[in-house]
Amino acid sequence: MDWDLKEELRDCLVAAAPYGGPIALLRNPWRKEKATSIRPVLEIYSASGLPLASLLWKSGPVVSLGWSAEEELLCVQEDGVVLVYGLHGDFRRHFSMGNEVLQNRVLDARIFHTEFGSGLAILTGAHRFTLSANVGDLKLRRMPEVPGLQSAPSCWTTLCQDRVAHILLAVGPDLYLLDHAACSAVTLPGLAPGVSSFLQMAVSFTYRHLALFTDTGYIWMGTSSLKEKLCEFNCNIRAPPKQMVWCSRPRSKERAVVVAWERRLMVVGDAPESIQFVLDEDSYLVPELDGVRIFSRSTHEFLHEVPVASEEIFKIASMAPGALLLEAQKEYEKESQKADEYLREIQELGQLTQAVQQCIEAAGHEHRPDMQKSLLRAASFGKCFLDKFPPDSFVRMCQDLRVLNAIRDYHIGIPLTYSQYKQLTIQVLLDRLVLRRLYPLAIQICEYLRLPEVQGVSRILAHWACYKVQQKDVSDEDVARAINQKLGDTPGVSYSDIAARAYGCGRTELAIKLLEYEPRSGEQVPLLLKMKRSKLALSKAIESGDTDLVFTVLLHLKNELNRGDFFMTLRNQPMALSLYRQFCKHQELETLKDLYNQDDNHQELGSFHIRASYAAEERIEGRVAALQTAADAFYKAKNEFAAKATEDQMRLLRLQRRLEDELGGHFVDLSLHDTVTTLILGGHSKRAEQLARDFRIPDKRLWWLKLTALADLEDWEELEKFSKSKKSPIGYLPFVEICMKQHNKYEAKKYASRVGPEQKVKALLLVGDVAQAADVAIEHRNEAELSLVLSHCTGATDGATADKIQRARAQAQKK
Amino acid sequence: MAFPHRPDAPELPDFSMLKRLARDQLIYLLEQQHEVDKLYKVESKPALSSNEQLCFLVRPRIKNMRYIASLVNADKMAGRTRKYKVIFCPQKFHACEMVLEEEGVYGDVSCDEWAFSLLPLDVDLLSMELPEFFRDYFLEGDQRWINTVAQALHLLSTLYGPFPNCYGIGRCTKMSYELWRRLEEEEDGETKGRRPEIGHIFLLDRDVDFVTALCSQVVYEGLVDDTFRIKCGSVDFGPEVTSSDRSLKVLLNAEDKVFNEIRNEHFSNVFGFLSQKARNLQAQYDRRRGMDIKQMKNFVSQELKGLKQEHRLLSVHIGACESIMKKKTKQDFQELIKTEHALLEGFNIRESTSYIEEHIDRQVSPIESLRLMCLLSITENGLIPKDYRSLKTQYLQSYGPEHLLTFSNLRRAGLLTEQAPGDTLTAVESKVSKLVTDKAAGKITDAFSSLAKRSNFRAISKKLNLIPRVDGEYDLKVPRDMAYVFSGAYVPLSCRIIEQVLERRSWQGLDEVVRLLNCSELAFTDTTKEDKASSECLRLILVVFLGGCTFSEISALRFLGREKGYRFIFLTTAITNSARLMEAMSEVKA
Repeated sequence: MDWDLKEELRDCLVAAAPYGGPIALLRNPWRKEKATSIRPVLEIYSASGLPLASLLWKSGPVVSLGWSAEEELLCVQEDGVVLVYGLHGDFRRHFSMGNEVLQNRVLDARIFHTEFGSGLAILTGAHRFTLSANVGDLKLRRMPEVPGLQSAPSCWTTLCQDRVAHILLAVGPDLYLLDHAACSAVTLPGLAPGVSSFLQMAVSFTYRHLALFTDTGYIWMGTSSLKEKLCEFNCNIRAPPKQMVWCSRPRSKERAVVVAWERRLMVVGDAPESIQFVLDEDSYLVPELDGVRIFSRSTHEFLHEVPVASEEIFKIASMAPGALLLEAQKEYEKESQKADEYLREIQELGQLTQAVQQCIEAAGHEHRPDMQKSLLRAASFGKCFLDKFPPDSFVRMCQDLRVLNAIRDYHIGIPLTYSQYKQLTIQVLLDRLVLRRLYPLAIQICEYLRLPEVQGVSRILAHWACYKVQQKDVSDEDVARAINQKLGDTPGVSYSDIAARAYGCGRTELAIKLLEYEPRSGEQVPLLLKMKRSKLALSKAIESGDTDLVFTVLLHLKNELNRGDFFMTLRNQPMALSLYRQFCKHQELETLKDLYNQDDNHQELGSFHIRASYAAEERIEGRVAALQTAADAFYKAKNEFAAKATEDQMRLLRLQRRLEDELGGHFVDLSLHDTVTTLILGGHSKRAEQLARDFRIPDKRLWWLKLTALADLEDWEELEKFSKSKKSPIGYLPFVEICMKQHNKYEAKKYASRVGPEQKVKALLLVGDVAQAADVAIEHRNEAELSLVLSHCTGATDGATADKIQRARAQAQKK
Repeated sequence: MAFPHRPDAPELPDFSMLKRLARDQLIYLLEQQHEVDKLYKVESKPALSSNEQLCFLVRPRIKNMRYIASLVNADKMAGRTRKYKVIFCPQKFHACEMVLEEEGVYGDVSCDEWAFSLLPLDVDLLSMELPEFFRDYFLEGDQRWINTVAQALHLLSTLYGPFPNCYGIGRCTKMSYELWRRLEEEEDGETKGRRPEIGHIFLLDRDVDFVTALCSQVVYEGLVDDTFRIKCGSVDFGPEVTSSDRSLKVLLNAEDKVFNEIRNEHFSNVFGFLSQKARNLQAQYDRRRGMDIKQMKNFVSQELKGLKQEHRLLSVHIGACESIMKKKTKQDFQELIKTEHALLEGFNIRESTSYIEEHIDRQVSPIESLRLMCLLSITENGLIPKDYRSLKTQYLQSYGPEHLLTFSNLRRAGLLTEQAPGDTLTAVESKVSKLVTDKAAGKITDAFSSLAKRSNFRAISKKLNLIPRVDGEYDLKVPRDMAYVFSGAYVPLSCRIIEQVLERRSWQGLDEVVRLLNCSELAFTDTTKEDKASSECLRLILVVFLGGCTFSEISALRFLGREKGYRFIFLTTAITNSARLMEAMSEVKA
C-alpha cells in the first residue's frame, strides 16, 4: 500500500468500493470536540493507496460511509442527511432520509448494491428501519415496526429477493424479516440448539447466500431465502468477529465464509476443518464477486477460491491436460524431447483442445504477468498442433490481460480480477477510468481494443472536455481552442453537451465559443435559448433548416421580447417571418395585421382586409367597411388596379343588397357577371342593362351573357330581337351553337345564314346542312374547310355531296 | 404500340419493401400501440363513434388541430370523457401542439408520430402525397417540408445505397439536398460501403418549369388525370364511364395489363389500340369453339380467368375513352389546344389573348381561364400592362372579387405577372445573386424575389429546341421525341433539362440556360467516384420533383428511357396537373 497512515484502521470509519474501487477513511469520526485541529478528516485513496482527496470534515457527525455503484461516496450523518462526494472529494449533492430519521438520529446505516443501483438502509434510534432502494432516484420507504423491540438488534443486514429489498434482523435468539408490508418472525432450518443471540450476519455478493455467527461460536450457512441450510461450522470462538464476509466464486460449488477477528482470519466452509491465518495488522475485508480483498496499513491482498483451471494445472503432480501442456512447453523451450512425449500423451487422450482452453483460462486468473505469459505461451504452443482451433478466445484473453495488467498497475490502482472485469464490462471500466480522470489510459484502451469511436474515444474525449471546461483558471479562449484541437471533428462528440457543461459551470462565453464548433446547428439552439441568447438561437435555427426548431425559438422570443422588438427581429429574418405569418394566418389574425402594419406592407394589408370582408364580417356594412380599408391600403401600395376593383366591389355589394331588398332572391356574393345573368333570368332586363352600363361591362361580355341567359330561358323571340339590336360583336356563330345546344335547329338555321363567311362552313355543318356547307367550302376554295365537310359526310345520305367535293378538289389540283 | 424496353434496360429496384415497411408500421402503430379497431375519414363534422378512445391520423396542419380541439371541447361540454390520441404524419410540428395548448386540450390528447413519407404508387413511381407542398413552399415560402424531403431521400439511400451522381436545380432542391447531405454525414457509416443501386439522382423544383405543368395533357394517363383526377394511384370512374348506375374505383398501375400498354400513348392512338385489343380478346374467346372437353377444361381453368379480367379492364378503359372523347373532341377542346400551341410557339399572341378573354367572358371554367392566363404570362415574360389589367378585370367580373387575392398569389409565385418596363435582366440577376451569396440569405426564399424573376421561356425554348421543327405531319403512332406527349408541339422543358444534363453528366455547357432559368447559383452536380457502381445501376435514374410532377412528364421520360436504354424512377411530392396547380393558388370563399 502506498499510503502513509498515521492511525490504525480501527480508529477510522472505513469504506471500500467493490470491483477494486477506492477506499474512504474518516479519521477521528467519533470526536465531538469543536476544535478545528482535531476535526475529522476525510481521505480518499485508490485501492493501491494513492491519495485521491483529503478534506476536513466540517459537517455533522458521520455514522457510516459507503460507495455507490457509480463510485460516489455517501456519508450518512447522524441527523439522516446524506452527503454525496465524488471520487476526488468534490461535493456533489446531499439529500435527507426524512423527518423521522432526523428526529430519532441514525444508529446504523448500510449501503447495498442491487441491479437498480445503490440502496441505503438506515436504523434509527427508535429501532425503525428506513430504506431507499436507489439513492439516485430517492424514494424513502419506512419499514414496518418489529413488535416488542426494545433494544437495537444485535445484527442486521439487507437482503434482496425478487428485486425487492428486505431487512433481516436478529434480536436475541429471534430473527425477523421485514418487507414493505409486514414483519415476520423467521427461523433457520437446521439451526443448532442453544443459540441465545446472533452476533454477525453476512450476505453473499450476489444475495444468494446468508451466513450467521452465533454467540456459541457456531456459524450457520444457507440460502438467503432461509429455506435451506448449506452447511454449518463450529469454531468455538465466542468473541464477536469484527467482520464476516462470503468468499465464493460464481458458479462454484464450494462455499466459504471468511471471519475476521482482531488478529485472526478464519475461512470456514463445508468441511470439518477451517483454514486459519494470522493477521499481523489491523485489517479490513472487502467482499468481491469472486473473493475477498483484505487490506491493512501495509498490504492489500486478495483471497479467493482457486479457480478450477488453475488448480488443474498447478496441482502437485497434476496429470490434467493443461498441466501437461504447460510442462511440454517448458521442455520445448529447453529443447528437450520430453516436450514431444508430453504432447503425445495429451494428443493420445484427445485432450489437446481442452488443454489449450485450460491454459488460456488459467492465464486469465493469474495476476503476475510472467505467469500469464508462460500459460499463454503454452496455449499458443498447443494451438500449433490443432487444426481449426478458433483463435478468438486466445486473442481476446491476450487483449483482456493487457488491459487488466494496465489498470492493476499501482499508479492506476484498480485491482480487478478477470471475472470481475467481465462482470463489470469494458464500458463501465472506461467510465471508471474517466471518473479517475485517467483519460489517456482510457483512450489507449479504446484504441487498443478498437472500440467504435462513438462508444470509445469520442465519449472519453467528450468527458475530458467536460472536465476541461471546469478548470476555471484557464481563459475561455484557451479552453475552447484546446478542446477543439483535441476533439476536431471526431464523430459522436457533441459540442453542445460540452457547452452545456460549461454553461453549468457559469461560463456562458465559453459555452458560446464551444457551440461555434458544433456542426449541427439544431443542437446549438436549445442551449442558446437556455442561455438567453435567443437571437443567436434564431439564426442558428434558421441555419439548421428545421422549421420546427425555428418555430420553437420564435415562441420563445415572443414571450421574451416586447412586441416591437419581436417584430423587429422577425423583420431581419424573412424565413422566420414567413413562418410566423403562416401561424398567424390561422391562429392570430390580429397579429398578422400588426405585422403588415409595421412593415408598411400595404399590399398584403389590403389582401388581409379583402379576406376579412368575406371571411370574418357578416353584415354588409361591416364588409363594405373592410373593403374600404382594403382599398385605402391598395392606394397606399400604389396598386390602383386593386383599389379600383375593390371600390367596384363595394359598389356592387351595396347594389346587390338593394336588389335583394327590392326584388327578393339571392344576389349578395354573386360575381358581377352572375348578378347580371340572374337579373335577366328573373326578367329584369332593364335593371340588367342599367347594371351593365354602370359597371361598364364590355359589349362582348354582355352579348355572351345575354345570349347564354336568353337561350337558357328558351326565349327565342327575345333572342332574335337581341340579335337584331345591332351588329353582334361576337359574330353569329355562337348563336348557332347555343341554339343547337338547346336542340333548336329551327332557330339555329335562322342565325346560320348571318354567320360571317370565315365561319359559315362551321355554322352550316352545325345545323346539319352538309350540302350547303360543301357549296360554301367549294366557293371558298379552302382545302381545310373541304376536308372538314368531307369528314361530316355520312356514307348513305351525303354521297352526292362527297362526290361533289372530290370533284372540286380534283379541279383545284388541276389548276 | 406500347414500346418494349431495350433488352439491356436495367431492372427497377424493389419498392415493395417500402410498401411493406409503411404497412407494418401503420398496423403496429394503430393496432398495437393505440388499439384502433375502426377507421374513419377525418372530415369537418362531428365524429359519431361511441368508442372510449379516438385516434386521429393527421397531417400536421393547424386546421386539423382546430378540428380535433373542437371535438374534444364538444365532448367536454357534453360531459364525456374519452382518450384522444393524435398521430402526426410524417412528423409533429411544434405549432400544432401549440394550437392544442391554446385551445386548452393539450392535456387531454397524447401525440405520436408516424414518419411515413414514401408511398410507392407504381413500380417506378414514389409519391410523398404532399399536395400542400406546392402552395406551402412556392407561395407561402414555408420550408417545413424540406426536412421531410431530406428524410425521405435519406431513407432511400439507406435502402438502395448511395447515389454516385447527383444533379439538381432550384432553390428548394438545393436546400433539401444540403439538409440531406448533412443527415448522411451525421449518420455516417450506414450507407458507406454499400453498393449503389441507383446511379443518378436528379432533383428539380417545380418552379423551374411551370409551363409543362400548365399544358393540357394528351397522353392517356395524363388525360385520365385531367378528366377524372387520379388519387393515390386510383381513380373513381363515374356512371358515365361504367355505363351502370354505380361508380367504380380502379387502381391504375403497371399491374393493369391493359392500362400499362396505353398509359403512355398519345390519346389519338388509344382507341385504335383498344379496339384491336378487343378483337384479339374476342378471337381468344372464340377459340373455345371446336375444343374438345380436355382442352375446354384447360381453357376454363387456366385462361378464362385472365381473359375475363382483361375483358373487364378493357371495358373500363373503353368506357373512360368514350367519356374523354365526348368531352375532348368537341370543337372547344381543339381550339384550346390550338391556343396552347400558339402560346408555346409564340405566334398570334393577340389572337390567343382574345381567345382567353372570350374564355373568361363565357365563364367556361374559372380554373381553365386562370391556367391560360398563366401560360400566356410565362411564355411571354409577363403580360403587357393593358392586357394584365383587362384580363384581370374580366376575370373578377366573371368569377367574383375574391380572386383579387388569387391574382396576388399568382403574382407572388411568378405565375401571372406584368411585364416590367425598364427592369433589365442583368439588374435583376445581380440582385438575386447578391441574395444568394450571402449565406443566411441563401437559405431564404424571398417570396418577393420571384416578382422580379423573368421566365425567359422564349429564349430557353430556342436554346433547348423545345419546339420541334416538323416537316409534314408529326406521326404520333411512332414518336420521334418527347414532344409526342404534347402532340408533337412541345418538348417538356423539365424533361429536356434532365436529358441534357444526363447526356453531359453535368451542367457544363448549359450555363446560359441555367442563367435564363434564374438558377445561376442553384444548379449543382455532385459526383462521387464510385468504382462499385455497376454499368446497370448507372443507367437507373431517380428523378425527384419538388412541388409535383405531371403524368405527361413521366410519360416523356419513360419514352426517353426506352430510347436511350435508361430506366427512370420518379419521386414526387405529389402528382399534379394544371388544375391542381391553379387550385392551389386560388382563394375561394370558405
